[in-house]
Amino acid sequence: MRWVWVPLVVVALLAGASWSAAGPATCALGVPTIKLGVQGAASGPHADYGRQIEMGAQLAIEEINAAGGILGCRLEMRFMDEELRPATAVRNARFLVTEWGAHFLYGVDSSGSAMALGPVLRELDRIQFFTHAATHRLTEELVAQQKIKQIVRVSAPVYQDAVAAWLFRDRRDVRRWATIGADYEYGYATWAIFREQMRRLRPDVEFVGAAWAPFLTTDFSPHIAAVMATNPDGIIATPWAGEAVTLLRQALLQGVFDRIKVWFQAMGGSVDVLEGISQEVKEGRFQGKLYATARYIHNWPNTETNRSFVSRFAKRWNRMPNYSAETTYSAIYITKAAVERARSLQTDRVIAALQGMRIETPAGVRVFRSEDHQFVYAVPAGKVVWDPRYPIAVLGELKVFDPKDYWRWPPFRPLELSK
Amino acid sequence: MNHATRRWALAGLVLVLVLLPVVGSRYVVYLTVHILLLGLNAVGFNLLFGQTGLLSFGQAGFYAVGAYTCARILLAWPSLLPGVLGGTAAAAVAALVLGYLSVRHTRIYFAMLTLAFGMMIFSLAWKWRAVTGGDDGLVGVPRAPLELLGLVVPLPTVERYYYVVLVAAVLGVVVMHRVVHSPLGLALRAVRDSEVRAAHVGLDVRSLRLVAFTVAGAYAGLAGSLLPPLENTVTPPIAHWTASAEPVLATLLGGIRSFAGPLVGAFVLVVAKDVIVRFTVHWSLVLGVVVVVLVLGFRGGLVAALEGLALRAPRVQPAAAGEEGG
Amino acid sequence: MEVLAYQGLIGLSSAMYLWLISAGLTIIFGVLGVLNFAHGSLFMLGAYLGYTLYGVVGLPFGVAVLASMAAVALLGAAVERGLLRPLYGLDPSYQLLLTFGLVLFLDDLAKLVWGGVFRIPPIPPWLQGSVVLFGRPYPLYNAFLMATGALVGGGLWVLFDRTWWGRAVRATAADRDMAAALGIRTPGVFSSVFMLGSALAALGGALSTPVRPVAPGIGAAMIVQAFIITVIGGLGNLRGAFAGSLLVGVLSSYGTLWFPEFELFFVFAIMAAVLLVRPQGLFAR
Repeated sequence: MRWVWVPLVVVALLAGASWSAAGPATCALGVPTIKLGVQGAASGPHADYGRQIEMGAQLAIEEINAAGGILGCRLEMRFMDEELRPATAVRNARFLVTEWGAHFLYGVDSSGSAMALGPVLRELDRIQFFTHAATHRLTEELVAQQKIKQIVRVSAPVYQDAVAAWLFRDRRDVRRWATIGADYEYGYATWAIFREQMRRLRPDVEFVGAAWAPFLTTDFSPHIAAVMATNPDGIIATPWAGEAVTLLRQALLQGVFDRIKVWFQAMGGSVDVLEGISQEVKEGRFQGKLYATARYIHNWPNTETNRSFVSRFAKRWNRMPNYSAETTYSAIYITKAAVERARSLQTDRVIAALQGMRIETPAGVRVFRSEDHQFVYAVPAGKVVWDPRYPIAVLGELKVFDPKDYWRWPPFRPLELSK
Repeated sequence: MNHATRRWALAGLVLVLVLLPVVGSRYVVYLTVHILLLGLNAVGFNLLFGQTGLLSFGQAGFYAVGAYTCARILLAWPSLLPGVLGGTAAAAVAALVLGYLSVRHTRIYFAMLTLAFGMMIFSLAWKWRAVTGGDDGLVGVPRAPLELLGLVVPLPTVERYYYVVLVAAVLGVVVMHRVVHSPLGLALRAVRDSEVRAAHVGLDVRSLRLVAFTVAGAYAGLAGSLLPPLENTVTPPIAHWTASAEPVLATLLGGIRSFAGPLVGAFVLVVAKDVIVRFTVHWSLVLGVVVVVLVLGFRGGLVAALEGLALRAPRVQPAAAGEEGG
Repeated sequence: MEVLAYQGLIGLSSAMYLWLISAGLTIIFGVLGVLNFAHGSLFMLGAYLGYTLYGVVGLPFGVAVLASMAAVALLGAAVERGLLRPLYGLDPSYQLLLTFGLVLFLDDLAKLVWGGVFRIPPIPPWLQGSVVLFGRPYPLYNAFLMATGALVGGGLWVLFDRTWWGRAVRATAADRDMAAALGIRTPGVFSSVFMLGSALAALGGALSTPVRPVAPGIGAAMIVQAFIITVIGGLGNLRGAFAGSLLVGVLSSYGTLWFPEFELFFVFAIMAAVLLVRPQGLFAR
């Protein structure tokens, strides 16, 4: 029965430790440091996203601290792996806020994690700046409908993938569309939004086939074979990160690019994907038929802000910044702007300071949409090309469309998700 | 340790648990809720594994049945008791049906069968979008008030909800203690030690296993149905086979042969993970080593190891008989 | 019709990975009585080593594959001697738990060593390209996989049926005490069988690197599939594992055509049904 004492002692220690956490206040906002809790996927085939989130956050924090912090307050970061598991994301958020003392939260890659965090953020009363999770339901349902004001999204949501419809609007030769979809909310939403826009722009197109690949698929060849059996002109594909690279490789093996006219890889503009397919792009094996977008691409816009961000990032990390790095980096600068305007860390005041915000960021000017706390900005789509000025493949022949045209706008009608 | 000290120690533990929201931070309270949930799940599991000798790799399935049922009830009828009781009952029914099929086998075949059933439940959670919400799960589940005998207790904070979970966990543990020390518990251990001998003295081996399986499923379901009010969300990963490993690991860690083993294991597992992830993302590396070492060197688990240390101490020990129950 | 035939052929080549991993799993179970949870992690290690030797170091593909098989086989021997041997007398649950601990350890170790970032090296030039089958280009690499799978199948058959070692293994599997009494060094048989199984898993993993991503966690995904197959084929039944791999590979290929919605559910339902109705496996004689 000795064991009884073990938990007793540990509980006492934990309680003592949490009691002694208070320290001296120093800076203008009445806290020793401003604490930023950051989460991203740091394990599995999607792990580069979390790494990029961490790199973007750290770069922003180093720069801001070097320039004197926010109102004289230094920033401090803590990064945690969300494991793409909602339960882990929720536990991390609770730890970051109630134990570590985070003032603001950032990140998460998984839509499931984002949706699970929503109600928890309300209970904890902390703002989270979402910098990747793309489900439209996060802002449309949880903010616009359920009024969870603590949710703010800096990254473009799944709306961005509808840009494909505009990109191929004038391609009269591409009439039969099929999808190789991620077999979860993101894949369904992309296919639904794409079809909705395409029907409007091009009543003559047909949607001929769909194959759905579950999360963590390693063998897409049955899906490719099934979709190719329907003889599509164009394919829109939603598996992302490592899965996108695998899918494209396996499509090459089946000679898909000899038989189709265009392939749109929704998140193919992501740096990890471009790195993964660089060799094939260089050899021209996609025959100029591969197109993609992302939530930000490092070679657009051609502004001083963006050029300098990319070069500082590349210098600091020896990598190109992916969109999850840019969105997190920008989210921290947005925090800075809002806190400086609010002169407070209180949730209500910071949210009030976000109203009407227009802010110059590497991805361009971001505008706060107050109905659903979504930052609006344009991201181009383009062809995957090899450009000797870059170490990896890039998006070229960029086309930019006005988010007014292809994003969803309030009041929101529920999106019909069907396969 | 004699009965008096044991009683004092238990009283002390209960006192700490009751006072926890006063002395501990919000996060400690939240973590303790998770310890209690895993503890309940593991205590139920150990009736199956430690007492009856059946290693199930499908407990996450019943946990999920409890969680999803409770979430659906709370979304339709925001009152805590119907949700929790409904979830537990649904898990018990699922365990009864699947258990009826599973207990035809033992050992590896039993483990594989429970793995398959658990994964069937997982794929339903993933794909049956109309009911389960698919990969996004059910979100916005309310922490509904506790309504009992006309009394309505709202549960706005984790601290308040903690007491609900604490009461459920204490009740669950006390009931299990009774079960283990009843003739039923004795019969289950007889089945574990020798199926043939148990059958020869007239025990209905298969029914006994089914009882243990159903009770374990109900405990998993109770733990599961206490989850959505805490997190406001239920998602498919809780049903995956890797989640089934949690009660297994907790039980193994604490010790399968002592009643308190799964509880101690749940405590150590949750706290260790929480502490280790603060220093390194490679916590499962550490956990893996711990599991290997435990299986090779300390199959009695932590409780037995600590008791072993205690026994080595130079003082007179009471007879070991009856220690089984801890 | 051509669509179905092509889809089936695609499934057949995917089945080869399943065959390579479940062959080792089922052999080890048949002889040692150990159901090795960590077998998927050995597949993963084979993939990582194959990727490193071929994609990073730049060894010829064939050499890289053989070297990673050898390395994983040695690791398998160490695991068998150092960790599993003390557990042979105990309830099989403990072996399952130990190998589960190894899964946690190895998957995280891979993350520590190779990091989270995946890479896929290019396909060796001599395996690029395609042949036309049923009017559509069929990847040469998939054809190569099928040939390798068939070759391994034939090799195993010769090894078990036509060599002294094979007889020793079969004798040990049938009755290890009797085999020992007959002068067969059963500990040596156990080690060599575990090494063979590990090498087969590594072969599957290494062959997957040019076309599939290597990442921590692929092991956990593969092992569940391998469990399904070995159960359907009958635990310990090598021919059953072969037939089971083909069945699952082809079925899941057709599944994406016909019943994508509940593919996962049906695969596990088949596994459960086999365990209930015919626990010795569908293909037991």
